[in-house]
Amino acid sequence: MSGAAPAGAPVLPKGGAETLLELRGLAVEYGTGEGAVRAVDGVDLEIRSGEIVGLAGESGCGKSTVANAAMQILRRPAAIAAGSVVFQGEDLVGRREEELRRYRWRNVSMVFQSAMNALNPVMRVGDQFVDMMRAHERISKRHALAEAGELLELVGIDPSRIRAYPHELSGGMRQRVIIAMALALQPELVILDEPTTALDVVVQREILQQVQQLQRERGFAVLFITHDLSLLLEVAHRIAIMYAGEIVERAPAAQLASSPQHPYTKGLLRSFPPLSGPKERLSGIPGAPPDLASPPPGCRFHPRCSNCSPQDEALYRRQTTERPVLREIGPEHSVACHLVERDGVT
Amino acid sequence: MAQAEFSLPSSPFKARVPSRLRLPGWFVLLLRNPKSRLGLLMVAFVIVVALIAPLISVSDPNGFSLLDARQAPSWHHLFGTTDQGSDIFSQVVVGARRSLLLGAAAGALATAVAAILGITAAYTGGIVDEVVNFLANVFLTIPPIPLLVVMSGYLKTRGLWTMVVVIAAVLWAFEARILRGQALSLKSRDFILASKAAGESTPRIVFGELMPNMISRIAAAFVLVFYIALLVDSGLEFLGLGDMGATSWGVTIYWAQVNSTVLQGEWWPFLFPSLALSFTVLGLVLLLAGIDELSNPRLRTEGRPRRHLLALLGGRALARAGGRA
Repeated sequence: MSGAAPAGAPVLPKGGAETLLELRGLAVEYGTGEGAVRAVDGVDLEIRSGEIVGLAGESGCGKSTVANAAMQILRRPAAIAAGSVVFQGEDLVGRREEELRRYRWRNVSMVFQSAMNALNPVMRVGDQFVDMMRAHERISKRHALAEAGELLELVGIDPSRIRAYPHELSGGMRQRVIIAMALALQPELVILDEPTTALDVVVQREILQQVQQLQRERGFAVLFITHDLSLLLEVAHRIAIMYAGEIVERAPAAQLASSPQHPYTKGLLRSFPPLSGPKERLSGIPGAPPDLASPPPGCRFHPRCSNCSPQDEALYRRQTTERPVLREIGPEHSVACHLVERDGVT
Repeated sequence: MAQAEFSLPSSPFKARVPSRLRLPGWFVLLLRNPKSRLGLLMVAFVIVVALIAPLISVSDPNGFSLLDARQAPSWHHLFGTTDQGSDIFSQVVVGARRSLLLGAAAGALATAVAAILGITAAYTGGIVDEVVNFLANVFLTIPPIPLLVVMSGYLKTRGLWTMVVVIAAVLWAFEARILRGQALSLKSRDFILASKAAGESTPRIVFGELMPNMISRIAAAFVLVFYIALLVDSGLEFLGLGDMGATSWGVTIYWAQVNSTVLQGEWWPFLFPSLALSFTVLGLVLLLAGIDELSNPRLRTEGRPRRHLLALLGGRALARAGGRA
């Protein structure tokens, strides 16, 4: 666990790293029967130990639902409708609550979106550490508090702040506290669900760098969920793009940046300005994400896709009736698009 | 990982960590707030009076003496006497025992049942929530007074504990609904999901995470039931279903009413037990102000908690001078 990895560009962990968490054909439904809404529909995602996997997409595309399913903390009316969540070779779906309780945090921990709400307002920060640690191991209160202080120090907060109440900390500090909590039991995987959305850019950068540094030192894997693709390109090893409950493209970060294949990915990449290079017009993506209660038939992106027009009749019929599946088009690079299937990689 | 090695005994911050559960912590908080300090003193005063009642009551509270009947307050009979010549001061002082016990026991029982059922139902949801809601609805639709009449009629003993159970049975549903509603809104907050993600068990989440956020409302429920219990005690006497042999504020008020003392210009049989009741409830309500601070750390004033009891009781000026240092 030496911090030997060079700073700067993310480095892929050594090949053949073991698969930590695998989502296989995961589908999550809100409600049951007729009115059920499939928020996540057939997601396949693999996270290997020690790597940072990014999951990007618009609001409401099911990113957080994927995270909650991976943690097995879906709340009614949401429930896993199909597929499996496999952690180190064991399927978690349908496990007993006590087994899941032990799995949570010990193996996979999570940093929630809103630091404001993720801490109990009536308890001192230190006591929240103690509660969490004691849910998993026999540890004296003193020892747990001392460890909490160490963890706070790790994320750059004065250890004496374990006496503070959440409202006495700034937003950035609160998010750091939550990150420290996520690392407390040294889990193999940390899920970051929009960890910096509520913070300003400067604090956001500081915190991300800290997470990256800790990740290099301690070697845990990260599932980084965000709507900000530019952020992922910097920190993630591999990136999966989600649209309307499905993964439409999956590739190593560098590859995704240099040769995106799915029109949606291209649109996302065009929607923020590059810091260097010639000025380009930002185009964004016209239209709005579909209503998941009645997703469009065929390719879910087709109503917004610039490559979808009735002129090319054969392709149009496929695009509007047949759901594209993820196909491997290069090493570690998969995409779900009829156009790519027909025309090949561009 | 070299920096993760820590030397426990030398950690400088460790020694100063006060525990959430250590008794003085919340007690000090109650004493620091001027309102709750006054409330605490008032309630403590009533409790002390109740405890030493046999020592300070001047005569048998139910003593019958026509010679002493209908006397206005005087040095001999501090609170005056009733139509039967009983000393009202003795009645109020001795009655404090039964009244406090009745109110506190009914309040504690109803609030405990309401909190446990209401919060658990809200958090668990599903069938548990349905069952609790159904029970609460049933109890809410039963009119309390007829239920009390029927229950008191069937029960052989009309003692204090019967009354406690009857009052709690009638009042828990109301509080359970309110606490369930509050828990429902709290449960959707991220920190509850976070503690579930952190692998905490359901009882731990209900009692360790949700409940501390609701202490203020739970305490208010207790005070409300306390107050209603004393009124119901008096109400049952009106219906002739109470424990006539007992001495309580309710019984004294009842007899004052029956003998229509106010119409005859005798205000004291009404005034003093009513004052005692108001005094106690006011003390409890003032205490709530401090309890609000317990469940909402934002309300707490700055400065370190002071642990020196005398300094705290010494009033605002002293506490402020020290607290700012």
